[in-house]
Amino acid sequence: MSITKAEIIHLGKLSNISLNDQQLTNLNQDLENIISYISQLDELNTEGVEPTYQCFDMANVWREDEITEFEANREDLLALSADTANHQIKVPKVL
Amino acid sequence: MKYTMTIGIECHVQLNTKTKLFSAVDNNAVDKEPNSCVSPVDYALPGTLPVLNKAAVEKAILAGTAMNCQINLTSRFDRKHYYYPDLPKGYQISQMYQPIIGSGLIKLPDDSEVRIEHAHLEEDAGKLTHFGNYSLVDLNRAGTPLIEIVSMPDIHSPAQARLYCEELHRLMAYAGITNGDLYQGNMRFDVNISIAPEGSDKLGTRAEIKNLNSFRSIERAAEHEYQRQLALIEKGESIKQETRGWNDTTAKTTAQRSKEEAQDYRYMPDPDVPPIVLTKDFVENIAKNLPLTPTYYRNEFKKLNLDRSETEAILNYPILAKKLVDVTQNDSKLAPRIAHWFSGLLLAEENLNKDFELATASELLELSQMVEKNKLSSTAGKEVFLSLYNPKNTSKSPLALAKEMNLLQENDTDALSAIIDEVIALPECASAVTDIKNGETKAISFLIGQVMRKSAGKANPATVNQLLKQKLP
Amino acid sequence: MKVANKTTKAVDLVQAALSKIEEYKYYNIFISINADSALQQAAKIDQRIANGEKVGKLAGVPYALKDNFLSREGKTTAASRMLKDFAAPITATAVKKLEEEGAIMIGRTNLDAFAHGSSTENSYFGPTLNSQDQTRVAGGSSGGSAVAVALGIVPFALGSDTGGSIRQPASYNGVVGIKPTFGTVSRYGVVAMASSTDTIGCFANTATDTDLVMSILSGQDPKDPTSLSNFWQNKPKPDQSLRIGLISDFMAEGVDPEVKDCINHCVSKWQKNGHTVENISMPILKYGLAIYYIVQTAEVASNLSRYDGVRYGHRAQDITNLNELYGKSRDEGFMTENNRRIMIGNFVLSSGFFDAYYLKAQKARTLLINAYNDVFKKFDVLLCPVAPSPAFKIGENVNDPLAMYLEDAMSVPPSMAGLPAISIPAGTTKAGLTVGAQLIGARQSDRTLLNLASELAKEPN
Repeated sequence: MSITKAEIIHLGKLSNISLNDQQLTNLNQDLENIISYISQLDELNTEGVEPTYQCFDMANVWREDEITEFEANREDLLALSADTANHQIKVPKVL
Repeated sequence: MKYTMTIGIECHVQLNTKTKLFSAVDNNAVDKEPNSCVSPVDYALPGTLPVLNKAAVEKAILAGTAMNCQINLTSRFDRKHYYYPDLPKGYQISQMYQPIIGSGLIKLPDDSEVRIEHAHLEEDAGKLTHFGNYSLVDLNRAGTPLIEIVSMPDIHSPAQARLYCEELHRLMAYAGITNGDLYQGNMRFDVNISIAPEGSDKLGTRAEIKNLNSFRSIERAAEHEYQRQLALIEKGESIKQETRGWNDTTAKTTAQRSKEEAQDYRYMPDPDVPPIVLTKDFVENIAKNLPLTPTYYRNEFKKLNLDRSETEAILNYPILAKKLVDVTQNDSKLAPRIAHWFSGLLLAEENLNKDFELATASELLELSQMVEKNKLSSTAGKEVFLSLYNPKNTSKSPLALAKEMNLLQENDTDALSAIIDEVIALPECASAVTDIKNGETKAISFLIGQVMRKSAGKANPATVNQLLKQKLP
Repeated sequence: MKVANKTTKAVDLVQAALSKIEEYKYYNIFISINADSALQQAAKIDQRIANGEKVGKLAGVPYALKDNFLSREGKTTAASRMLKDFAAPITATAVKKLEEEGAIMIGRTNLDAFAHGSSTENSYFGPTLNSQDQTRVAGGSSGGSAVAVALGIVPFALGSDTGGSIRQPASYNGVVGIKPTFGTVSRYGVVAMASSTDTIGCFANTATDTDLVMSILSGQDPKDPTSLSNFWQNKPKPDQSLRIGLISDFMAEGVDPEVKDCINHCVSKWQKNGHTVENISMPILKYGLAIYYIVQTAEVASNLSRYDGVRYGHRAQDITNLNELYGKSRDEGFMTENNRRIMIGNFVLSSGFFDAYYLKAQKARTLLINAYNDVFKKFDVLLCPVAPSPAFKIGENVNDPLAMYLEDAMSVPPSMAGLPAISIPAGTTKAGLTVGAQLIGARQSDRTLLNLASELAKEPN
């Protein structure tokens, strides 16, 4: 399976990672090998087979609508951010 | 060539649950400090997991029932991926493949019908505020439960689009699943519009106007977008499939994102949230608690033969609709007057801030009765009606208020004839008196006016008229 | 394992562990050490014992914590630059449960960044060395925890296993490692890798110690909707004759002969004990790795979306706009292997490829689960190696990610089915490298596996 430079750049965008040309070239090679390997699933006939997203048979795992205390408060959480202002997280202007 | 427009609408409704969709933190952030309603789950700390709120599922079932939708017994949650500072996990938990609410149908007040394609549960994002060269992130709203209601493209005019949105708003408000405050963003609308030659069986390319949050802007935006597309087509240009924004002040839609730039959301079933698997009984037990719907109220009000705009105006305020049903069931003869008071006085701009609960059904009936029986002039009736909504007066009966404001009509003939004698004796009335004696009856209204003035408006004009006729045969 | 009591002081147990940490510094086992608070906690426990107060089942027992568990104690780095300075304001449920029983967390162990790897070479803090051969890898991703137990620094250590991250390093270092049934231990507070196969387990020297630790860790957690109600107190299958299926597909070509010898050695021991062993072939296993590297990378790409430099974690310097904040913070914060998996994951999820890869894999997963269900009608337990070969040389596979992935071929299938699987010492090669045997059972048969394992120890070699 061959992957074009354009496709790798697109995947980089989807992954939200800035990658330089060297990284892109290496990843291009790696992905071609790995994707060729995983493509062997084509041999399997999965017609009419239901997918399994979770390997357990639980359902309706829900809680009552009651407010509970958490071990971390606003200050604990905001302290983790590199940049905050008036109790909010600061980021470069979103256009 | 004539063109018809086709409109489909997606509506986001914030559910009024106590806690968020996947975390047990306060869901009501109105007037709260930024990020004060945020748990480690909402902040998307590593290792935190979503735990579903049962009440959100129940409210979704109520909403679906209110829209005559089928409820899907098995539904799942999926992850919708995109990067934005107000989306902590880098994905929104939504229902792409197996939504909880299936297809349904909404009948609009003008008897037209709009089909619902489906509706699903999902979590809301946080709020961004923009400053000079930076933006601030408040996650209080992140994780608030939403249901997104997706209509079929069954709408064909801006007015109908507005009607549909208003009806959705009423249905959700009556179902009691949202606070329904459009100003607070409790309901937000995305409107898809395309136009095609009349009679053509395929739709034109559609543009989507995102995030409309007032009924007026929905109607205006739809109208503007129709004109914009029409102009393009008449110039022989083609419509781009794109997302557009509406600016209320310039009254224009402007391009935001075209199809080419459209994001690839990489939907994936969420492995962290087990599926919802309901039984028919579970669904029915919740559905049977659905409060009365606007349709029920409309039928009730038919007896009062109000005009539609009046009915719909009252229906926008469930409290008033319920009150009006109470009084109607008590005495449908006295009810129309009360309906007019509601729509004519209480729903006037300056009174909307009043507490509509204050006047009880029995007080309203008593007041309507007093006007009916001429104890109050209709003008005086209106004054007393409004004063019923003054918190200071809660303990006072309409009669007490009318006395206090001394608006009771004077029906005591002795007292009145005394006043009339005074009036007749007045020099400035002499000519009128002689006119009447000579059979010029229309001068009588002049005398009635004088009597009314002397009695400070409390005299009952009908009684005065009779007495004058006796005194001046 | 030694628990503090009137004669054994918790402080001494902790001291001993701390000096061993010093002694084996060269192996690069620990990312951070918790000396002061560990000694304070030990002193408290000794005091309580002196006062005759009740103490927990693991009173004063020092343990090592894989550094992808969140705890208010110290920093949780996930061996990444992204979380290098991340001081978690919450504590993982598993860690809390150990605290309640008096266990003392003595330090955070090394791993492949975000648990992406099979050698602990993908750590921002450098590789951990193998306990028997310092030129070889510790295995991974829970390499630090495995070596900490193998070198006798601590009697047990916590790890996480998504596709073999406990079993393979256990095999490479000659200790017992358990990946329990999916949902046995709460995932709350553990940095997520692949949500549908992430499990919490431990390393120990014996099956008995493992059983004790797991009995404490197990149980439903309201903070983890996928956690199972506690089944550990249920009695395991009695030590009667068990039907063991030897997976022939994993005893074939390409598997190191010395590894096969070790497995066969175990087979004869169990047969002596009256268990039956029969070959069983499961052709579907051939596809296990492909299924895993589609589903796992998809879930990895999704789970790592939250590391965007906004709310916590590494934020790149001198950035001028939001895209730079995202792109640079993520590039600087992730290791190459992290990027690789995120990219593959986004590939298999992206429009146009979703059905052919992601959906196809989830369907194949169903076939895999069905195959296991059939086999467990005939067998109580399945047996195979943990990995095709003993620990490989450091650097041997770093430039060949696919070769590295192939190391997981035998450990990922049970993960995809949520089955319990353990790695137990099965012998050593002539070169003195340990080999692990893998026992796999039906869901919630974890204790049966441990029972069977304990027989090997009882048997004199």
